[in-house]
Amino acid sequence: MGRKLQIDSVLRTEVLVIGAGGAGLRCVAEICGRRPGTTIVAATKMYSPQKSHTSTAQGGMAAVDPNDPVDKIIYHMFDTWKGSDCSADQNIIKKVCESGWEQVLWLERHGMHFSRTEKGRIAKRPFGGHMLNFGEVKAFRACYEADRTGKGIMDTVWGESLKHGVVFLNQSVAAELLFRNGRCIGAIVFMEQNGKFVAILAKATIMATGGKTRMYQVSSNCRQNTGDGLALVLQAGLPVMDLEAVQFHPTGIVGPGILASEALRGEGGILRNKDGEPFMEWYAPTAKDLAPRDLISRCVMTEIREGRGCIHPDHNLPHVWLDLRHIPEHVHKTRLQEVCSFFRKFVGVQPECELCPVTPTAHYQMGGAPTNEFGEVQRDAEQIVPGLYACGEFAAASLHGHNRLGTNSLLELITMGKVVGERVAVYLDDAEDPGDVPKDAGQHVLGRFSRYLESEGKERYAEIRDTLRVLMTEKVGVFRNEKGLTEAIEELKGLKDRAAHMKLSSKSLAMNQESVRFLELDHLLDVSMIIAQCALARKESRGGHYREDYPNRSPEFHYHTLAYMTEYGNVTLGRRPIDMSIFEARGEHYEKFGIIERKY
Amino acid sequence: MSQKYELTLKIRRHDPDTGQSWVQDYRLIAGRILRFVDLFQKINDEQDPTLAWNSSCEHGQCGTCGMKVNGKAVLACELLVENAIKLFKTQTFTVEPLTVAPVVHDLVINMELAYERVHLVKPYIIEAAPEHPEGDEYRISPRVLGTYVEATRCINCFCCATACVTQKNYLGPNAMLANIVRLMDPREAAKQERMDILYGNQGIPRCHTARACSFVCPKEIDIAHFIGLAKEGNFK
Repeated sequence: MGRKLQIDSVLRTEVLVIGAGGAGLRCVAEICGRRPGTTIVAATKMYSPQKSHTSTAQGGMAAVDPNDPVDKIIYHMFDTWKGSDCSADQNIIKKVCESGWEQVLWLERHGMHFSRTEKGRIAKRPFGGHMLNFGEVKAFRACYEADRTGKGIMDTVWGESLKHGVVFLNQSVAAELLFRNGRCIGAIVFMEQNGKFVAILAKATIMATGGKTRMYQVSSNCRQNTGDGLALVLQAGLPVMDLEAVQFHPTGIVGPGILASEALRGEGGILRNKDGEPFMEWYAPTAKDLAPRDLISRCVMTEIREGRGCIHPDHNLPHVWLDLRHIPEHVHKTRLQEVCSFFRKFVGVQPECELCPVTPTAHYQMGGAPTNEFGEVQRDAEQIVPGLYACGEFAAASLHGHNRLGTNSLLELITMGKVVGERVAVYLDDAEDPGDVPKDAGQHVLGRFSRYLESEGKERYAEIRDTLRVLMTEKVGVFRNEKGLTEAIEELKGLKDRAAHMKLSSKSLAMNQESVRFLELDHLLDVSMIIAQCALARKESRGGHYREDYPNRSPEFHYHTLAYMTEYGNVTLGRRPIDMSIFEARGEHYEKFGIIERKY
Repeated sequence: MSQKYELTLKIRRHDPDTGQSWVQDYRLIAGRILRFVDLFQKINDEQDPTLAWNSSCEHGQCGTCGMKVNGKAVLACELLVENAIKLFKTQTFTVEPLTVAPVVHDLVINMELAYERVHLVKPYIIEAAPEHPEGDEYRISPRVLGTYVEATRCINCFCCATACVTQKNYLGPNAMLANIVRLMDPREAAKQERMDILYGNQGIPRCHTARACSFVCPKEIDIAHFIGLAKEGNFK
């Protein structure tokens, strides 16, 4: 019963945005502002862009007001450089930190409901890794909307997109990029509701598909974050960068891995082990509970490994405690309203008077599709792919190197989103028409869905997915070593073979969620292989990537990892230099931007 | 290990290919702290991969997983097994989709259609008020913000619109709320346009003050309070 799948319809537009979260829609708003009347189609897996994962971000966005009496942009730049473990690109750090305040004002003018000071101005809060005077004392740098800053950003950029008449293609999964003579001319999307394939031809394609940590057992990410964008670029023979840098956020709520924002520690929360000891005092004497996330995650895991953690009776997962009992009641009720409610709702714990169980949760992707400072996607360290752009968590410009500071991601969405929008608006004026759908278009996505429909195998999706999660958590998680990584690579090949023998229960593609699960699993397996191989190749520890067999950072590895994979398991590695332009400019404080120690 | 319960979920199903609807019983054993989204995942994994349902963040922030359990509109990610048993005093639950749009497949409804009501009220600043003389941010005192900040927490989950006693020809409580937020926001200058939407024939005249909206809101927003402000003529 072979049914021939085909491209069911063709859509033409000037701009295609894949992913309609904070970065994608900030970019869209910029294009609309500069070039009114531009036709834009934004494709999203969600049924409304407002539902994107950006809307769940909590803590805040860092931005230094040039008029601030104590904080300076150069401190923010330094904190970002140090936080990245010396692998972020300094030209990007400079660009983002310098434009941060302007973008915060853009959001405020367009209606974001920032929390305010007594005088009615945008309020600020402290956050891990953000300090004054090059690491002396905590800085009040993050602007916030209670503990739902992401929602504020999402609502604002979504509103602007509605205002400008952007066309949304909801419940659609981009499954193959289209090219002509090396230029990206659009993509094929699978429409979940009616099971049809639509080819979208565009002059410019922007990818903003967000994060991917659903291959881990405990993840803060939403169900849709399955690395689809990464799989797409890999499929097209393009590289991904620094995928070994996965951020494990130290305070995920035990069980589902729901994020308990760093803001809890910003407002005074303290981590304690099973004996009630405030262990961060030993590991990071200055920053303590506001040390960067990768450090704290390792400290929590060390406490657990050395027998000072607890086991949760309902979830059978190890954890430590977060103590919020001493924080004033009005702070619980206002600045930490949402996140305190999570403990009440999902674990049955009252944070005002009980200890909260937390454990590291796979949270953020520092790496992604490599771009230059304009968000133009690169095919290698030197060349870009005309017509293809990327921003937000999906892209690696790279702002974060191998570790991201809290509140720098939301900052990245709006600054780089604007940068890409600005660049695309210029590109569009001279860009040629993309032409017709290429003759070989669809071979990846149609072939893949045909296989799903035809497979008669006995493998079970849930089993493969769960095995993947345990494997990744144990061997490619917070602590890595050569033996574990080598085993993981072999086991992943086995899982990919098994995944080819899963059978769909229904052969209709209309609203067939199981078929989308199969596609997502394929993508997760692809991305997991890259993470494992890049982690094996980087024989040092840097930021979120920690090797027990190589626990120190090494100057030998002072570069970005590029990885290509068009055939499963066959990964080609490359390098991209780290931009050191602030250091090389020899301006004031340039020495702070050399290869520096990372102690807190 | 902790307490487990034997549950029966009677789920309203609909097949888009045949057009048929029916109620299907699923029996499962689940731990006390599992959420209903975990139950649906369990059903997909162990019994029936074809059961269609939606969720995203699974911690009450995105509003994707709204549905009716034993007649009450809830977020499936916030309903824990143990709490559901206490609340409804049973271990058998009827599960149905929200009522605000046609059913597509099982518990999935055409939310894009429902969202059009929110788009109608223009959830953005239509016309910006004059900037602050210093050219940076508007000044909004915490006291002023405090009068409407609760209403900004709405995630458009449509539980209120499902529970509302007016199901037709009405913008619905969440869309009303979105409009009221901008009426109270000092940065919005297009007050007249918003007043026309508020008191238009899809607006205030349709509300019968049943307060079902406030009762079911998963974010515990007192929606009826804000609509009440409009009824009392607080906006000019």
